Amino acid sequence: MEGIVAPHVYASVTLGERSVPLITDAVIVTWVVMAIIMVATLLLTRRLRPVPKGGQKVAETIVSLIEGLVKDQLGHHYRTYAPYLGTILIFLVLANIVGIFDILPQGPALAAVFHNPALAEFELEMHPPTKNLNVTLCLAVMSLVVAVGAEFRQRGVRGWLRSFYRPTPVSAFVKLLDYIVRPMSLCLRLFGNMLGGTIVMALMYMALPLFAPAAVGIYFDLFDGGMQAYVFVFLTMIYIAEAVETEDEMKQ
Amino acid sequence: MGLLAIAAGIAVFTGVGAGIGIGIATGKAAEGISRQPEASGKIMTTTILGAALSEATAIYGFVVALIILFVKWAG
Repeated sequence: MEGIVAPHVYASVTLGERSVPLITDAVIVTWVVMAIIMVATLLLTRRLRPVPKGGQKVAETIVSLIEGLVKDQLGHHYRTYAPYLGTILIFLVLANIVGIFDILPQGPALAAVFHNPALAEFELEMHPPTKNLNVTLCLAVMSLVVAVGAEFRQRGVRGWLRSFYRPTPVSAFVKLLDYIVRPMSLCLRLFGNMLGGTIVMALMYMALPLFAPAAVGIYFDLFDGGMQAYVFVFLTMIYIAEAVETEDEMKQ
Repeated sequence: MGLLAIAAGIAVFTGVGAGIGIGIATGKAAEGISRQPEASGKIMTTTILGAALSEATAIYGFVVALIILFVKWAG
């Protein structure tokens, strides 16, 4: 269980007395997910033509799905924010369901098959990178920055400052609290769900290694992962919508 | 370790509240859809959002339990 909760550190730097982990399993799995997304994007967008064919159809379906999703919440602002939200959605969906590919042979097995003792050190489990709190905290802070940036863009810095003491100066406290609570709840929700799912699946593999993990994995790996990715993007969208739309309502 | 394990178990009890909350939200959503099937899309989005928000309390309990179990306590 310790091996699931604590990240596996591959490289670290020493700052003073502390050793700071530099490359962990979350980083490597993120690289794998990034590589998959990049290759898929390159393959699907080759030879674009007015009448879509083959891979272009898939790409256009995904893009129009995301744009429709964003349009429902943000209205005519969707063009500005759909690329960011779509990127986060695609990354999170892939990163959250990467747990079903946890089939890599580990060090001792590799060393026995290839008769090479150097391979025994190899250890990489394809667990979702979002089970690492640092990854989700980073994504949540990105969401906060985008939401505040949207507010700047819409109202300017002065309008943003004015929103602190309007309608009453007491609301400044609530707004400041919001800036702390929102990223916290975003990151803890995703982190807790993914870590919980991974732990439940690990227990499942331990208790009933045959057939049962396949059935339970549909919920904990696929459904929960997709759901949490959607919820994360949906909440980010709500925050952006809140920052963007009040100005339109004020003018009316 | 014994008392820490009990403490972690108590922390996970927050799940009770989240379960009741999500149950109520989903029940009301089902009522709403049966009254107005044409609004099912909007009701669905609101339900997912409400479920995600009320689920957060259970997740906080889970995270607290993990902190109790896995953070190295001094002494």
